[in-house]
Amino acid sequence: MANYHPSDELLMQFSAGQMPNALGIMVACHLETCHHCNRRIKVYEQLGGEIMQDTAPVEVGSNVLSELLLKLDKPETEESSAQKPYASVDPRIPRPLSRFVPSYFDQLEWSGMSRSIKEFELPISDTQYSAKLYKISAGKELPVHTHKGNEFTLVMDGSFSDKAGDYHQGDFILADTQTVHQPKAADNADCICFAVLDAPLKMTGFFGRMLNPFLS
Amino acid sequence: MSQDQTDTAQSFDDLIIIIAQNKDRSAFIQLFEQVSPRLKAYAMRCGASATDAEEVVQEALLTVWRKAHTFNPKTASAITWLYTIVRNKRIDLVRKERPDLITSDDLWPETYTDNEHLENEVESDLNVNIVRTLLHGLPETQRQIVYKVYFEGKPHSEIANELDLPLGTIKSRLRLAMKKLDTLAKEQMTWLIIILLTNF
Ligand SMILES: [Zn+2]
Repeated sequence: MANYHPSDELLMQFSAGQMPNALGIMVACHLETCHHCNRRIKVYEQLGGEIMQDTAPVEVGSNVLSELLLKLDKPETEESSAQKPYASVDPRIPRPLSRFVPSYFDQLEWSGMSRSIKEFELPISDTQYSAKLYKISAGKELPVHTHKGNEFTLVMDGSFSDKAGDYHQGDFILADTQTVHQPKAADNADCICFAVLDAPLKMTGFFGRMLNPFLS
Repeated sequence: MSQDQTDTAQSFDDLIIIIAQNKDRSAFIQLFEQVSPRLKAYAMRCGASATDAEEVVQEALLTVWRKAHTFNPKTASAITWLYTIVRNKRIDLVRKERPDLITSDDLWPETYTDNEHLENEVESDLNVNIVRTLLHGLPETQRQIVYKVYFEGKPHSEIANELDLPLGTIKSRLRLAMKKLDTLAKEQMTWLIIILLTNF
């Protein structure tokens, strides 16, 4: 069970359906295993229902019902089948992300300049956020760095720690411009995380720039 | 809270259950008449054109027809269930032209809704009433910002510009509103129940 959760504000935005793309996927991944946040989502969905109930109604054209009635008996089209998750997915990949990760973690084409950290670009970036997986090798430590913007991280496998805590599978962590940290993967396993960033990282260490896997 | 509201909510539940059990068209038409103007209003406040909003309404009600058997009044009120359906249809309408974008099914896989065994009937009933009471009890300034989050999904800086208020004020108002709502998510908040009961 996760110990680090999305903020209430993010959960509200998610329930409002106002969190598209990468960050939404990340919250959905966290929700897959977090009962605590699922309960909150239920409250914010109830709030959405009440807000909809409060909205001044707008008249609906008379053709809408008649068209709809004609559709009722038609068989359901299988549109959603076009979006089946990849056939062979790593069980460590949460279901909402599985459609976007083509293979097992070990078979992905990881890239990166350093042996301690590798990345894999995810095809769900947009103008606001970029999304990737990254892998910190067991026992390795990243250079001390701070962030120009927000960096959301979801731990998918292994664990890492920094001065503020230890993070395990399912934990949802936000680092912002105030955070200066030096994440270190646990000694026993590589740590694989899903990251969503709203601005490139800015390393503070001497070799930071060289090692920074997030600079494009 | 008026008696009318309670009756309406009750009848949505009944209509959906009748649709589920009997594929009853007249119940469906009745439900359509009652809810479609609000579903359309919701989609439009979220930025859809009138035409797109009507498409969202059609898609949402088609899902109601097909998925009525998945409605469980023990885990969600009818209006909450309808809200989640129309919310998802609105998201998917935007994505129809852009297959690279995520869909509502990515965000809310159906498997989640299948195992909602954690909530019991009494608790869920209370929550619905508390949410309604608290929403209406929020000061106007806080409620305005909550509405903007739901309908417009705007960044706080944009809300601040629109309302001509400092960003800090927006953030603190939202935080206050959320704090009140958050208390709901925590169980054993008996004082909320007391507030609720004294409102009857
Ligand atoms: Zn959580």
